[in-house]
Amino acid sequence: MRRADYIVLIFALVLLPVLYGTYWTRSAPGQAVRIIDATGEETIVPLTQDRHLEIKGPLGVSVIEIHDGAVRFVSSPCSGKLCVHAGWLRNGNDFTACLPNRVSIAVVGGTEGYDSINF
Amino acid sequence: MRLTVDREDYLIAGLAALAIVIHIAESALPTPLPGAKPGLANVITVAALLLYGWRAAIWVSLLRVLVGSILIGSFLTPTFVLSLSGAIAAMTAIGLGYLLSARSLGPVGYSLLGAMAHMAGQFYAAYLLFIPHPALFRLLPVLMTLAVGFGLLSGLIVNAMMPRLQAYVARERAPGG
Repeated sequence: MRRADYIVLIFALVLLPVLYGTYWTRSAPGQAVRIIDATGEETIVPLTQDRHLEIKGPLGVSVIEIHDGAVRFVSSPCSGKLCVHAGWLRNGNDFTACLPNRVSIAVVGGTEGYDSINF
Repeated sequence: MRLTVDREDYLIAGLAALAIVIHIAESALPTPLPGAKPGLANVITVAALLLYGWRAAIWVSLLRVLVGSILIGSFLTPTFVLSLSGAIAAMTAIGLGYLLSARSLGPVGYSLLGAMAHMAGQFYAAYLLFIPHPALFRLLPVLMTLAVGFGLLSGLIVNAMMPRLQAYVARERAPGG
């Protein structure tokens, strides 16, 4: 190996930790939460203000809590409680839903786009 | 107009054929991660670059992507688009390395540059065209680690091949040989 090869190798070995440091940190905290209820209506609520929200769905009322810049399902009248177990959502594009009660919440902030495109 | 086939055309065709065989053999391997494969066909591109220059390397690389995809059946599919983006990025980086380093780069340097640029180009094309979601970037460090590992491996393989290849080329070029 020549000297220029070592320079490229060192560049590569420096680049890798930088990439891990840049992309494996948590994404930026979101600014608001978008709630979609059973009728398909969207509500955008800022995360800056602590509050409780009650969203009506086909099964009953889902309770959503906003506290300290994060949002979660406190309770939902479903059997699985996956939405409640998802816990606090804080960062941009964090998402959870109560499918039985047809309520979904997503943290918005930063850029948004498609989740994915398939062929 | 009449096209004449010169010696360099045969050399490029032969090297491209080798690269295509490696490319297709590799496509049969299972991949643990989408976008990750050893890329050992890179060995032939780097050898072509060192033996016959940048132009030959570009031909070998583009012919491999084109013919490889036609034989595998992925021509004009997303796989092909990613493969082509990667190849173009890799050849750009290798070309820059060739010009800037005044030919002081060896097989390992070119191979690493090519592997990293290939991954970057392919990844960015995937992000722009197919999965424009910021979460995709979480894959980048892992994919780039693999690219560096495999790039280093291909480079060491070319390193081991070079003395014999250079002896062969010298014999071919020797008058009366």
